Amino acid sequence: MSLALTLHTVPTVPLEAEVLSPARLAGLSAPEAAKLTVVYGNQRADLGDFFKVGKGADGELHLTGDLARVKRVGMGMAEGRIVVHGSAGMHLGTGMTGGEIVVEGDAGDWVGSEMTGGRITVKGNAGHMVGSATRGSAVGVRGGEILIFGNVGNEAGSGMRRGLIAIGGDSGDFAGVNMLAGTIVVLGRLGWRTGAGMARGSIISMHPAELLPTFAYACTYSPLFLRLCLLHLGRLGLPVARSQVEGRYQRWCGDAVELNRGEVLLLDSAPGA
Amino acid sequence: MSDNLKVVENATCTFCGCVCDDMNLTVDVDEHRITKAENACILGKAWFREHGIEQRPFALIDGHEATTEAGVEEAAQILARARFPMIYGLSDTTCEAQRVAVGLADMLGGTIDTTTSVCHGPSGIAFQGVGESTASLGELKNRADMIVFWGGNPAEAHPRLFSRYAVTPKGMYIPNGRKDRTIVLVDVRRTASTPAADIFVQVKPRSDFEVLWALRALVKGRKVDPSIERRTGVSLAVLEDLVARMKRCNYGAFLFGMGLTMNRGRHFNSAALLALATDLNQFTHWVAKPVRGHGNVTGADNVVSWQTGFPFGVNFSRGYPRFNPGEFTTVDVLARGDADAALIIASDPASNFPKPAIEHLKRIPVIVLDPKATLTSRLARVAFTTATYGINVTGTVYRMDDVALTLRPAFPSPYPSDEQVLTAIRDRVRVLLGGNRLPAGAAPIAPAVAAAS
Repeated sequence: MSLALTLHTVPTVPLEAEVLSPARLAGLSAPEAAKLTVVYGNQRADLGDFFKVGKGADGELHLTGDLARVKRVGMGMAEGRIVVHGSAGMHLGTGMTGGEIVVEGDAGDWVGSEMTGGRITVKGNAGHMVGSATRGSAVGVRGGEILIFGNVGNEAGSGMRRGLIAIGGDSGDFAGVNMLAGTIVVLGRLGWRTGAGMARGSIISMHPAELLPTFAYACTYSPLFLRLCLLHLGRLGLPVARSQVEGRYQRWCGDAVELNRGEVLLLDSAPGA
Repeated sequence: MSDNLKVVENATCTFCGCVCDDMNLTVDVDEHRITKAENACILGKAWFREHGIEQRPFALIDGHEATTEAGVEEAAQILARARFPMIYGLSDTTCEAQRVAVGLADMLGGTIDTTTSVCHGPSGIAFQGVGESTASLGELKNRADMIVFWGGNPAEAHPRLFSRYAVTPKGMYIPNGRKDRTIVLVDVRRTASTPAADIFVQVKPRSDFEVLWALRALVKGRKVDPSIERRTGVSLAVLEDLVARMKRCNYGAFLFGMGLTMNRGRHFNSAALLALATDLNQFTHWVAKPVRGHGNVTGADNVVSWQTGFPFGVNFSRGYPRFNPGEFTTVDVLARGDADAALIIASDPASNFPKPAIEHLKRIPVIVLDPKATLTSRLARVAFTTATYGINVTGTVYRMDDVALTLRPAFPSPYPSDEQVLTAIRDRVRVLLGGNRLPAGAAPIAPAVAAAS
């Protein structure tokens, strides 16, 4: 059984609520769930101090309200589904290993950092460090999927090892920085210095971009994996055009200061392509 | 001027990160001012001249004069009530005061951050990610035959860096001083430092990362496209010449400033330079040091690191230190409106922070410790007047190369030191809270255990 929670008191300082996870709430009655501990600034509080706990009908965890200052929703979750009807704060789904999170609004920084499995979908924009490594850690996302329909900030997919990050809008600077492997698709424009220090991995964009001097043009082709990848993203609701699925892509190799086995694929806009 | 003069030898100037410790100060004891500062640079002379004893109230509470004790009580009440108190500043005070501030943050379950987060904070992140090949300034003086200044203007910001350590002095293995050194300056414009350089490399604004990345590629023997000149304003030939010289020197040093850390790319700019120094160690010895601004900002990094494990942007909400720049750094915390109280020590964020952060400072109770009236002290609920470190207060400071120095004060001040005020606040907060706040993430103490103790 799962629960529906509605924010009745907007926190004025950050609220850390990793208890907002299907496994932590499973099997609890509404009064029991309301007694769960959250960290409100430097003090403990009850979940019920901020959320009205109702009953869920469809086996999902539904959170309603402006959760922009509520951090760590779905952190480390392994199964189940969370739907946020509103915005989510920092560290959404950090370290999650399975299950699904859907955010109808925007999400803060560090969405899905160091996740290893599952899927996060954000219908609005997300902040910096989407699917990144935490500071001091060399490896970011090791698996799973992150879909952001809007724009993202800097350092999306930093240190990524495996998995898929797809961005419907534009990305900030340093997308895929220090990437070890995995795939980042940006349907909008890339920021500066994409793929700096990447060892392996693929970064795809549908717009021209100026790359670092350590990236070298290889060829223009239609990679088969990308067709499959884009069709998959289209099925998940991202606005993938037919011309993108069937398009030809410039392949740029890099980063030469590292292993040089990574690639940035840019949709070739040349006529007749 | 009175006849009651004394001379303080080998005093330390705490104006900038050079922390020159060879000042000979002539002090007018009756008038409480320094009349002559021998060996000081133009900035040091102004520092010593401007810090006499001003007639200011010991404390202001809501703009009304108050005693230090009343200010301590009000400040402690504010901090004990706060759920997300922010402690910030600390770069212009002694390590002893910084230590108390960290303890206070721990006790409150608050967040502590220093001015590092708005100057070389990106370098702090880069050190964690890339590592640092480092040296003391004395080592540079005695050994370095190639010095690259990147994104700084030491001639105006750190005048004695050139003459004491990095350009002109003769050293053990640099017998001819300036003649034995190759000086390179990389900047976006010509400055007063430019004439000191043998080679001036003018990069287009916000293209430092590309230049550093191209240098890294050349050092590793990779090809770089000549189009680099269009992007960065620096030709491939210049870069190749630079790399050849870098590989050829006996001992090289990068000294980098905020021109690198505070332009687009931030910690990746610092990281690129640190990585370049690491790459060059395949060929010869290279080190990289940030050139630090405030007198004891290096001490702030050291003290916060020593006590929490992290250099800045540390949060204690859950009872243990957490480091996350962007989440716990002051500008971000204030701009998002997360903090509900602020304790500002020896810093003036209201004069240089982004507008949303200043607007939030105006909404929350602010406590300020400063020897002078500042924009921040004017918006503060509680403003303490404190004595100036290095002039009235002894203590420990760290030079920009992490060398600890002891201060020799010139004359006493009627005002308390930052350390004394912070200690009084901490002791009062301890009484109000009944000890450290119970870690927010910890399990409650079982009644039987509590009773037994």
